Amino acid sequence: MDSARADRLAARHQLHTHGWIARQAEAFRHLPPPAAAVWLGDGADDPGCEAHPLAGAGWTLHPIGHSPQGRVDARWLDAGDAEQRAELWAGLPAPGAAADAADGDAAPFAWAHRALCRQGLRLRIGGTPGAERGPTETVWLQLRHQPRSAVEAPLLVIEVLAGVHCVLVETHDRQAMACCRQPVVQNLQAHIVLGAGATLQHLRIAAPGAADCIAHHLHARLGRGARYAQALLASGSRYHLQRSVVDLQAEGAVARSAALLLAADSTLEHQVRLLHGAAQTTSAIEDLALASGSAHAVVNAHTRIAPGAAQADVRQRLVGIPTGGQPKLVLRPHLEIHHDQVQAAHGATWGALSDEALFYARQRGLDERSARSLIVQGMAGALLQRCFDDEPLLQALHTDRLLREAVARHLAPGPDAGHG
Amino acid sequence: MTASEPLLHVRDLRVDVGDRNILKSVSLAVPAGALMVLMGANGSGKSTLGLTLAGHPRYRVVGGSARLAGQDLLALSPEARARAGLFVSFQAPPEIPGVKNNLFMRTALNAVREARGEPPLDAFDFLGDARAAAARLGLPEAMLARPVNDGFSGGERKRNELLQLALLRPRLAVLDEVDSGLDVDGVRAVVQLVQGLRAQGTAFLVVSHYQQLIEALAPDAVLRLDQGCIAETGSLALAGDIARTGFVRAAQVLEA
Repeated sequence: MDSARADRLAARHQLHTHGWIARQAEAFRHLPPPAAAVWLGDGADDPGCEAHPLAGAGWTLHPIGHSPQGRVDARWLDAGDAEQRAELWAGLPAPGAAADAADGDAAPFAWAHRALCRQGLRLRIGGTPGAERGPTETVWLQLRHQPRSAVEAPLLVIEVLAGVHCVLVETHDRQAMACCRQPVVQNLQAHIVLGAGATLQHLRIAAPGAADCIAHHLHARLGRGARYAQALLASGSRYHLQRSVVDLQAEGAVARSAALLLAADSTLEHQVRLLHGAAQTTSAIEDLALASGSAHAVVNAHTRIAPGAAQADVRQRLVGIPTGGQPKLVLRPHLEIHHDQVQAAHGATWGALSDEALFYARQRGLDERSARSLIVQGMAGALLQRCFDDEPLLQALHTDRLLREAVARHLAPGPDAGHG
Repeated sequence: MTASEPLLHVRDLRVDVGDRNILKSVSLAVPAGALMVLMGANGSGKSTLGLTLAGHPRYRVVGGSARLAGQDLLALSPEARARAGLFVSFQAPPEIPGVKNNLFMRTALNAVREARGEPPLDAFDFLGDARAAAARLGLPEAMLARPVNDGFSGGERKRNELLQLALLRPRLAVLDEVDSGLDVDGVRAVVQLVQGLRAQGTAFLVVSHYQQLIEALAPDAVLRLDQGCIAETGSLALAGDIARTGFVRAAQVLEA
């Protein structure tokens, strides 16, 4: 038996031995994920489904604007091949290896991923700049993913070399696909490593189909003085989990996480876990969750300041707004502080949009839906602005248009108008 | 609207806020292109009248009527009232974080233009108009790119209200203490804007305590609101009397 197959079987065995995520697991108790069999594709062949098998392109890379060439080393690797599989997972932690209990809660997803993963992409960003280009020039990338099968476990590994500045737009947009409505189960693992002084501004768009089950797990490790900013724009589905764990283990590392979550008659959970393990580290989590109809949306923000992480500066700000119907909105800000000399602030607010702002806009001639949409877009735009703190970047990425379209879909009336 | 009917016709308007009756019986008529000043002590119901006409959901009409250009104003949604030509400035305009001023104003203006049967303005044309109007009002151009009223001083908020008034060009504008927080240049800009819009046919109902502004506006009539009723109607001289004697004294004189 080849080692790739042995690794897959070992992962299944681990999953079988340790079991799936327990109902009482703290990180998942508000929105328990579907059973292991769903993520492994066991019994996925539905004889009643006449749709063609999915044959998306998987990961594809696209330049943005005048991105410098030759600074991205991209390798698409076959997880069924022993050698390539070893290269794919090289340097990545084993599932549940962290001492962190919450990470252990999510380990079954990682085992299920190892058992099923067929393909992955490794990106090495920075490389040697061309003679005419400076080393500090920003590398711009767009990474799109389209499902290659109905049940899949894609892997993405990104290494941003020391001192390199990268802008990455990662899209998982199933709502834009006009022809394919076949439900997808996707258990994605992404690992990001930022070298010392590297920066990554990461815009992630996750818009699954209504019947999709999606779980995206992102792990980021930040070197000394590295800066990672992630802005997530996600809409709900049958099950949709976005989970980010960011390790600030080196001095001066900075992490920012911002998310606009749009759940209409669907489920959506955002888990963010920021681990401060070194002095003078800074982080901020800011989520804006909109839910309507029978939606169930959960935001779990957890920031841990380890002993010795002196002068850590952490902030959490969660906002939940019901936009109609009887949605269930859970916001859980959580600070875990094991050092005295730190600054920490957190807050969560639930409530409707400002009546005064809404009336003001209507008094100037906007109908109620347009007024709501504009106000929400403004809140979301401000969220992204605080995350990236880079107006030209937001303009270059056309975030105004992205937000306008996403919010309009969310606020559209009727069950068929939008499922985000 | 018939030729003899005023642009705004309010009859026996009674309004509750919560369980309190604020407007007991207000009747007034504002002809097209006219300018009337509404004065009254604090709590007399001036702002309530403006916000009721605008359709604020907190202000419950319990009786009476209000017609704008022959239309039953009270039957319309707030946006329909605005599109019918009613502009009500806010004493404390709220902020709308993240929504850029120019986007907000262009969206509002195009909604109103659509209702008037006019084509929408594109961003380029709008910006040209907005910059020119902002310059006339002494509002820095940078304010156009900032979120609506977010971090604005009191005077900047008022100037921003005036900017919207200038761009929307309503049939009737209710200005609620638009002079408060404005410096002398701001007050001068109010007068120039009001005179310019009046020349184009806009009627005004101006709430103010500032005698100098009232005189400069040369109103067609001055109304005194007292305890939810129009207690007195007069000319500019009434504003002068109130400035000299105060609202309490004015009420006593009337009762005597």
